[in-house]
Amino acid sequence: MSYFESRLRLNFEDLDSVYRVLKFCEKLNISNLIIEPLNNPKYFREEIFHRIREDININIFFRFNLKPRTLKEFKKEIKFYQKFPYILSLETQVKEIQIQATKDSRVHVISYSDPINMKTATPGLISLAKQNDTYIEFSLAPIMSKNRALQSKNFRLLYRFVQLLLRMKPNIIINGNFDILYDLRHPRNLSSVCHSLLGIPLDQAKNAFSKNVELLLSKVKARKENKSIQPGVRLIKGEKKT
Amino acid sequence: MKDERQRYILFKIIMDDTSNLNKKVLLNSLWHSIWKYFGMKEANKIGLWLVDLDILKGYGIIRCSHTTKEIVISALTMIQEISQQSVILSPMKTSGTLNKIRHYLR
Repeated sequence: MSYFESRLRLNFEDLDSVYRVLKFCEKLNISNLIIEPLNNPKYFREEIFHRIREDININIFFRFNLKPRTLKEFKKEIKFYQKFPYILSLETQVKEIQIQATKDSRVHVISYSDPINMKTATPGLISLAKQNDTYIEFSLAPIMSKNRALQSKNFRLLYRFVQLLLRMKPNIIINGNFDILYDLRHPRNLSSVCHSLLGIPLDQAKNAFSKNVELLLSKVKARKENKSIQPGVRLIKGEKKT
Repeated sequence: MKDERQRYILFKIIMDDTSNLNKKVLLNSLWHSIWKYFGMKEANKIGLWLVDLDILKGYGIIRCSHTTKEIVISALTMIQEISQQSVILSPMKTSGTLNKIRHYLR
């Protein structure tokens, strides 16, 4: 089973720091990595992407994150991601946008990486995400806070959110999303943390770091190749009847 | 009653300056982490033993009971600082025998 660190935010303005972080990931034996370029597509170019893939001995994938403030802004922004070849996630506190994004097949992941956003999750929304095959994601970065009071508060928020997810059973993706280099951890170890500290069954925690991410990537790939329309439905080239 | 089985956990040490690191300091911070996140209820089941610590090569081996393997891995993962220095103790391999761990190291 290969594990994924499914969210690592890197600033592509400074390529040296990008390489430093990636080398550090190699040191940690992380084999699969999904990078989110900061400043979104502004500094991100395809050639950099290919160069990094060649230089680093890690399977690298990319994702982009939308942070709209209003529903109008979201609708305007999503138009540019029609045939998007990478993972697209959404992170917002506005419930209307979350509902709209959950219904929209262009958005693959609804992200609750910020503990404040977790409070906005409702059973209805999670159920809608499950129906539409949209992934729900959360991060473990808040529990690595060095401020003990904040760490304890974040643990409580995460625990409540996890209990909601376990009850509703949507497709879950868990990631580290660490900003500081020395906060980075191997996904296998993070699955142990999820199991022992947040009460997620071990197999589910492992799946959230591996199998579910693989399924998401295959979903994105199928969509890119126009093979997939809806879950379980795909176009096949039929022979003409003579 | 079934006998308690043991697990050996190999972990990697990633730290800028390892001059302050020794067995005592490492065990102290590990116990501190176990106490902080799991408390007395879990700590008494662990049977923790530091089998080996090679600071130069940057690895260590810990022995614990098989039921508390995930707890020890979590406690190692949650350690962020030792002697005011950032550190990563990253569990790499778990096994029921020390031989297999040594074989993996080679």
